[in-house]
Amino acid sequence: MAKKKKTVAATLPTAPKVAVVLTDKDKKTMSSIMTLANGVNEAAGRKREPSVDIPSRTLSNVKYNASKRILEMGNSTNRRQLFNLTQAKSYMQTLLVANGCKGLIDAGKTTSIRGLYYAVKHTIEGTKEETFNEQVECDPIIEDVEVLLSSLREELHLFAKKKGDMVGQLVLQDSGSTIDCSQMGSGGYGIPSIVEPEIIKFVRCKAKFVLHVEKDTVWQRFNEDRFWEKHNCILTHGGGQPTRGVRRLLYRLNNELKLPVYCVLDNDPWGYYIYSVIKQGSINLAFESKRMAVPEAKYIGLRSIDYDRCNLSESVIIRLNENDRKRAKQIKQYPWFEKKKAWQKEIDKMLENDFKLEVEALIQKGISYVTEEYVPLRLQEQDWLD
Amino acid sequence: MSIAEESKNGVESSASPKVGSRRRAATAQSMAAQQRDISVSEFFVKNRHMLGFDNPRKALLTTVKEAVDNSLDACEEAHILPEMWVRIEPTGAQKFRVGVQDNGPGILKKQIPLIFGKLLYGSKFHRLRQSRGQQGIGISAAGMYGVQTTGKPVKILSKVGQKSPIHFYEIQIDTKKNKPEILNGKGEGIDIPIGEKGREYIEKNGIEWVDMDHGTRVTIELEARYQRGKGSVDEYLQQTAIANPHVTIHYTDPEGNSTTYARATDRMPAEPREIKPHPYGVELGQLAIMLKDTTEPTLSSFLCNCFSRVSPGIARQICEAAKLSTRSRTTRIGQREADSLYQAIQATKISNPSTDCICPIGEDLILKGLRQVVPGEFYTAATRPPAVYRGNPFQIEVGLAYGGEAATQNITHDLLSDLLEETDLRTVRQFLINTFNGLGAETADRIVHNARLGSRQSPSRLKPKEVEALLHALTSVSLSEGQTMEVLRYANRVPLQFQHGACAITQTILGTNWKSYGLSQSRGSLPRGPITVMVHIASVWVPFTSQSKEAVASYPEIQKELRLALQAAGRRLGVFLRRRNRVRQEGERRNLFLRYLGEVATAVSNINQTDRKQLYGQLVDVAKKRTSDADLRLDDRGRRVEDDPEDEEFGENVIIVRPEDALQSLLKNAPAPPTASPGEKVRGSKKSDSTSRKSEGTEEEFDSDE
Repeated sequence: MAKKKKTVAATLPTAPKVAVVLTDKDKKTMSSIMTLANGVNEAAGRKREPSVDIPSRTLSNVKYNASKRILEMGNSTNRRQLFNLTQAKSYMQTLLVANGCKGLIDAGKTTSIRGLYYAVKHTIEGTKEETFNEQVECDPIIEDVEVLLSSLREELHLFAKKKGDMVGQLVLQDSGSTIDCSQMGSGGYGIPSIVEPEIIKFVRCKAKFVLHVEKDTVWQRFNEDRFWEKHNCILTHGGGQPTRGVRRLLYRLNNELKLPVYCVLDNDPWGYYIYSVIKQGSINLAFESKRMAVPEAKYIGLRSIDYDRCNLSESVIIRLNENDRKRAKQIKQYPWFEKKKAWQKEIDKMLENDFKLEVEALIQKGISYVTEEYVPLRLQEQDWLD
Repeated sequence: MSIAEESKNGVESSASPKVGSRRRAATAQSMAAQQRDISVSEFFVKNRHMLGFDNPRKALLTTVKEAVDNSLDACEEAHILPEMWVRIEPTGAQKFRVGVQDNGPGILKKQIPLIFGKLLYGSKFHRLRQSRGQQGIGISAAGMYGVQTTGKPVKILSKVGQKSPIHFYEIQIDTKKNKPEILNGKGEGIDIPIGEKGREYIEKNGIEWVDMDHGTRVTIELEARYQRGKGSVDEYLQQTAIANPHVTIHYTDPEGNSTTYARATDRMPAEPREIKPHPYGVELGQLAIMLKDTTEPTLSSFLCNCFSRVSPGIARQICEAAKLSTRSRTTRIGQREADSLYQAIQATKISNPSTDCICPIGEDLILKGLRQVVPGEFYTAATRPPAVYRGNPFQIEVGLAYGGEAATQNITHDLLSDLLEETDLRTVRQFLINTFNGLGAETADRIVHNARLGSRQSPSRLKPKEVEALLHALTSVSLSEGQTMEVLRYANRVPLQFQHGACAITQTILGTNWKSYGLSQSRGSLPRGPITVMVHIASVWVPFTSQSKEAVASYPEIQKELRLALQAAGRRLGVFLRRRNRVRQEGERRNLFLRYLGEVATAVSNINQTDRKQLYGQLVDVAKKRTSDADLRLDDRGRRVEDDPEDEEFGENVIIVRPEDALQSLLKNAPAPPTASPGEKVRGSKKSDSTSRKSEGTEEEFDSDE
């Protein structure tokens, strides 16, 4: 047993030599980790079965708050028990992750979720079994710990892979460096995973709105055409489903700088859902909606009517597959879409078309059709879905 | 001898037309000259496959089988606990001498030549009584085959009492006349006197004889092939031992290894009673013959006295339906009357024949027999009440053994090399499938793969290193996945070893849904798992599909009884398997918890600096409490299990061997004790008795309380 302790200690960040000053947030997080651990002692001491109640992160436990227009997590929880065959391992993993985070906070450092995965991964003594086999096993546990401790990821000293870029009429300060987003060349400013005010401070903003596009290929088009300069805006993309960093940044731009957010996404169920996540939050991370959702966000395109409206040829359409159709019908029934006639019409139209369109399809009408005609026109006519 | 004659005749007859200048058409006269009697013996010389002498390998088995079956019938009829000596010796290339001796009542001198030297001579054909042999063809056919293939006569020694001499005969069959020809003692046979003189004679003439008060020994030399595995003599004797737990068999194989199957009980099986035929079981032709042969004067008395279950009232009903008088003379009944009589019998309701003429092995003896021979951890047996097909009473019994190690697991290097040498199969894969019972193709593939052998490698040409690899693969590859059910079929206690596909028993097993009893089974195949099922059909007349008596015909009545018996045994197995599964799951659950507890304790003590050891201890306590908790006991279908497993109702006649005990008895059986002579393997009562006595306390026997 002593041997095991040693191995664990070696893989975890060791206690720092220099005393680390804990921030208030850290102290709060630490105390909730402590409560979690003490719970185990208490249960074991009374010969009870230790368990934790993790708020459930499923559609059934997500409520759409119509007045706030965001998704909120309900009160239902899932009990995770140590002495349950199917839950024993994840219970153990939950505590390992909590312990790992405690180590990070003690050391005053942050690490990527992949880093934490490596920190808590080791072979269970006396077996050939690994505590974690893959990172995909670890990531949901981290999210569990977040909701369990009601601490955000950054409060656990964790960050995710950087994804998404930004360019435009904005000057900000990132960890002390001043960054002018209009001077970012073709690459743009990579949006960090943690964009909290302690790290990113907005210095100066000339932009009038934010244009969020789905992926970097489209974003490149807009950047190369210097759309942000001509239309005086900020241009972001999230590389598909936007990460929490991107969403949090959009929220702050919308909330603090009062910039409206417009989205240009593919005309497919995925695009719809990306918009939905930006606008009212995701089902999985509903607990973060209140600090990430942008209920004001508008959906510019592509629309199901664009095939006719823009006079596209048949060669650019992609047929829906069974999965797409199923997903579309699901989305259509989400409470936050259900009552919007325009959206019902939009989704019905796509199902009727039985094909999807990517933003890149517009290149058929000219290389810069999307930046010079499509988006400006929609903005001018205020033609979007809400 | 006769074969030579035959072929000579053939050559002549086919050559003669060529010699003659013109081919003459046959006339009625010339044809008449060629038309003559065919003796039964001659017929069987040409059609010996009908009697089970299709190939040398099977000939050996059939010879042993006929001799043993006859001996057992004789012993049982004389109320003697049978003890048999079976010895097979190689005498030359493809030639073997088979000697079978019993402690039976012996045979009267004048009967010996007839019994062993005349086909279709016997006591069993004309009566309806449960016995192993039925027609009286077997042993004399074996003798005939031996004489034909080696030219050596059949030797018979028989002694009827302590004070009487041993009758010694050397006999061969005259195939043309179907008559025995006695070769020794100037055609009279020799009487070996009792006492010192006789012993000297026996020694001088190299006669094999185990000295005893009464008994018979038959020695046949024949062309044969000895091969172990499926359909072998070894398998037959083993299976015979299972179904006849009151028999002791001493067996010496061609390599000089002795095996003894000791009796598991001293109780003789109940003696079967002879019954009269039931009207439903009689065919029209047979009815006509019976009418002709009978001495009964009137039809009514004929029906009442020659058949079972026919009262004067029933006889009257039959006669009325046939529009015949009950008083009509049997001698006056012609073809037409017999026909209408036959129709009338079928139309008349006659109660089923009495079934007390059947003697099953009995559930407890089946269990004992199985336990003695088949390794396992769970045994059960089920006997159906007697039933009737076509007027013949029959009874089905099923024994089932589950678990234990497979044949591949305890094979030795020497035995494997021998087996490899003996086989004539082309590929190692085929060799594995055919040599080891219950080894499916899948498992054979895995073993071949594991041994890194080519799939088409010839088993006889393996290099020593490859044999080594194969042996390792055999012992290391887990069989329980690919192993299929081993089916032992018996008819009147005689093992059926061939034509399993055509047999009603196999068909019914295939048609039974074993999945509901916790076994895996793909459609249309035998269930998988280390499981042995023995099925016994006892009847005064077992309906075989062919003369070689290797498959039971599929009468719906028989299949129904088979199914019910199999299901009864299956249900008990299901209870056992579910319970065992649960115990295993419980164990796994505890292991799983214990595995993670250490991690949890470490993480927690790391976080809040509490004492890890204390926490770990506390968690282990909770885990123990938890895993023994009754509310967690769910069976494999997720249902709650009500009570303590010990109280569970298995029904009667179940033996469960705890793995520890099985291992113990295994350890006791496996290494040959230093005192025993090498090569002698005793699977005897002594050992198992001592183990079973020892494990009395741990062995749970569920006997009926009623």
